[in-house]
Amino acid sequence: MQILRKSNWEGFKKITKMKRKEIINKVKESGLKGRSGSNFLTGLKWELIGKGTRYLICNADEGEPGTFKDKFILENNPQLMIEGIAIASYAMDIHSAFIYLRGEYSYLKPKLEKIIKQSEIYLKKIKLNIEIVPGAGSYLCGEETAILESIEGNRPIVRRKPPYPSESGLNSNPTCINNVETLANIPLIFLGEWDNNLQLFSLSGDLKKPGIYEIELGTKLEHIISCGKPKKELKAVYFGGSGGCLPYEKFKNLRVDEKTISGKGAVLGARSLIAVGKDRNIVDISKTISEFFVHESCGYCTPCREGNFRVLELLDKIKDRKARIIDVKLLEKLAYHISDTSYCALGVSSTTHLKCALKYFKDEFRV
Amino acid sequence: MKIKIDGRRFSAKEGETILNVAKRNKIYIPTLCYHPDLKPQGRCRVCLVEVDGKLVTSCNTKVMDNMEIFTNTKRVKEARKLNIELIYNNHSGEKELEFSVVAKELGIKKSRFEKPKKEIKSPMERDNMKCLLCGRCVQVCGAIQSINNIEFTDRGISTRISTPYDISIKDSACTFCGQCALYCPGNAIRERAYNEKVVRSLMEEMNKIINKKKFIIAQTAPAVRASLGEMFGMKPGTLVTGKMVTALRKLGFDKVFDTDFGADLTIMEEANEFVGRMKEKKNLPLITSCCPAWIKFAEQTFPFLLKNISTCKSPHQMLGAIAKTYYAQKLKLKPKDLMIVSIMPCIAKKFEAQRPEMKISGCNDVDVVLTTREIGRIIKKEKINFTDLRDGEFDDPLGISSGGGAIFGVTGGVMEAALRVAYEILTGKRLKEIDFNQVRGFEGIREADIKIDNKIIKVGVVHGLGNIRKFIESDRWKKYHFIEMMACPGGCIGGGGQPRPTTNEIRKKRMEALYRQDKKMKIRMSNKNPAIKKLYLEFLGEPLGEMSKKLLHTKYKKRKVKYT
Ligand code: SF4
Repeated sequence: MQILRKSNWEGFKKITKMKRKEIINKVKESGLKGRSGSNFLTGLKWELIGKGTRYLICNADEGEPGTFKDKFILENNPQLMIEGIAIASYAMDIHSAFIYLRGEYSYLKPKLEKIIKQSEIYLKKIKLNIEIVPGAGSYLCGEETAILESIEGNRPIVRRKPPYPSESGLNSNPTCINNVETLANIPLIFLGEWDNNLQLFSLSGDLKKPGIYEIELGTKLEHIISCGKPKKELKAVYFGGSGGCLPYEKFKNLRVDEKTISGKGAVLGARSLIAVGKDRNIVDISKTISEFFVHESCGYCTPCREGNFRVLELLDKIKDRKARIIDVKLLEKLAYHISDTSYCALGVSSTTHLKCALKYFKDEFRV
Repeated sequence: MKIKIDGRRFSAKEGETILNVAKRNKIYIPTLCYHPDLKPQGRCRVCLVEVDGKLVTSCNTKVMDNMEIFTNTKRVKEARKLNIELIYNNHSGEKELEFSVVAKELGIKKSRFEKPKKEIKSPMERDNMKCLLCGRCVQVCGAIQSINNIEFTDRGISTRISTPYDISIKDSACTFCGQCALYCPGNAIRERAYNEKVVRSLMEEMNKIINKKKFIIAQTAPAVRASLGEMFGMKPGTLVTGKMVTALRKLGFDKVFDTDFGADLTIMEEANEFVGRMKEKKNLPLITSCCPAWIKFAEQTFPFLLKNISTCKSPHQMLGAIAKTYYAQKLKLKPKDLMIVSIMPCIAKKFEAQRPEMKISGCNDVDVVLTTREIGRIIKKEKINFTDLRDGEFDDPLGISSGGGAIFGVTGGVMEAALRVAYEILTGKRLKEIDFNQVRGFEGIREADIKIDNKIIKVGVVHGLGNIRKFIESDRWKKYHFIEMMACPGGCIGGGGQPRPTTNEIRKKRMEALYRQDKKMKIRMSNKNPAIKKLYLEFLGEPLGEMSKKLLHTKYKKRKVKYT
């Protein structure tokens, strides 16, 4: 796997001989995009950072259901990520970086601290301090502006943009927020022989061999899934909790990338694929995902807070075969309403799963 | 810049929100969590409009050149309705609430979501089941009043507003200013919570009391007459003094007195206190004491200021004490035979009335405090047609007042009334220019140098607890001789017990009304009030005399609360 390559600060040594602008251009030219699912050109993000004291935040608050690729990197090659942080900081003239580490991953903290300690000579050279901040717990904390609130000690509420964090982020200073996988790829860009299309996929669900696989973007759905060795015939593939689902048989020949998936009404996101066997009921799965969002909604806005609660209520009714046609209609209406009118991306994406389910598996929503 | 709303062209300034432009041009967009005094939040998602095929909240979306906005499409209308429907079960059904008005406007009579959402418990004395989670109260308590005593806690459907670590409100740093209740569009936070003694149905309670043969006296604060009319659809700033008196008589009060009289009395005491401290150069600045929320705030947060605060009780407490002694003697009654009901724009007065210091011969100075909202509701409940009432007059002698008492209800009013009297005491001359315009206004912190007999008296006027905190923490307070503090923005006319909605605009209208009243009065200075003169002659002796000290003054103590 490319991501397991040892760099041992070789990439860093190269960039310290380069001008800041050169580094940023190189990252831009590499075509690397945010691997959290945001798909924003990383080099451009770096270029856009505002003036003054700046911060870098490494987003290690991986909370999307079915996603565990950052954990894989943190466990197996964290040095690469730290080196990426150093390069990014140097390129943007940043002297204070934070690793916002998911609470559940706190067992990795000592390990990360050790690496930071061992890297002292390099970090000192560019006067960089790296601090590990424990995540505050909720799913929303993984959203980049909610991280800012959380580090500042506030309730994690998504900030309205503009201003973008690149202008006014942590403590109102320009802040760049990059994901673990994104940063881990940075040294590789400078080492050469790096393929931007090789990305991490988290495979789980009804598979014999769930896990992390490095797969080329654009591979057929069937081939991706076959890495994990399905246990049984598959009905659908879910893209995490918020990315919705597609029927497997129908789309198994689809070449998976961001555009093809969204063309079918789902969202590829951080490339987490959850395989769902034929024996499973879509309403059950909808309920599970919906429970997740009822729990994780921050409560700020009406449609997400109240709407998802009602979605769950209606799904319960359908599951218990107590629903009427108007209930299913209302469910459908709510699904669109919540994504149409919610304040932040969590609410907007909280019903993608439902919209897909109603689009492809409507017959399972029986009354 | 030019924008289009529903096909019509409008010009707009950079930085304006869609909602502002729409409002200015009288285009209706429903709102709920939005309030003109507060920062827009975009929580409730009711003010949706369509821009570029997307639904956006108009309260916090700024206009851009050539923006094309639709406020009326089917999609917009349905989305707004559905968001109201989603919280419809959380409201109490009372017709006049802001929420009910919006729901009605959108044609919503019931929600398709039948079951009320699961019960959320919190020790706060507020009704979570009626909370729409609009967040206004949180903003008022924090950003405006600087108390930060309530916040959102928990998440998702369990989201609620509560005190730090869910401690009970009475142990908390709440000052009872009641601004949260004033801004609540759904009556989830309300005055009832603050007083066990509150009269559910005044008539019921009174009948009970009448059986016990009590003599029931109402007194009304200066600010109530400038706002009570709003409860009955009258324009903000309408003075309804006469109708209010008549309504209270109809409710069965034996006498209706005017807290303005109490205010005149306060001024007599406080102006003399000020002159005394000026002469001795001791405990200056003198800081006013008539606002009980400010007093609690000082006791818990700025105890080092307690020696500077005037020892005067607030006007309604003074009036209560005088009624239960001087007036009771005239009627040949004992203090306990009287019941004093104060009608106040204020929630903290409920707390004040129950302070152990506020007693005379074992009786509370004041027995019950009702807010403007509460009395309004009672009048409605008794089906009194308020707007058609004839004007009545306050009873003698505790109903006679001066213009100085009248302006007590606005920020700067106490200061002005005191200066009018202090001038005459200090100079021994008649005051010719009665208006002290320097201390009037709406600015959060105002200051003026008042020249009296070649002496410069530095005065400061501060309103809103947030401004007060700033003012004290910056040490600015030290350079003054006399400071007036009011916890509520605008003073009592913007008090926590006033009618909803209250906005800064409405506050200003009520303010003007009280200044109008002052201007019209024959006697404009507290020391010229004949009833006050008589009271000192017959009963009290002189200001700060032994009797006064006993009945009209109080003390303060450092107060421990959790998480200030
Ligand atoms: S959509 Fe609204 S309630 Fe949901 S997480 Fe975002 S802000 Fe919070």
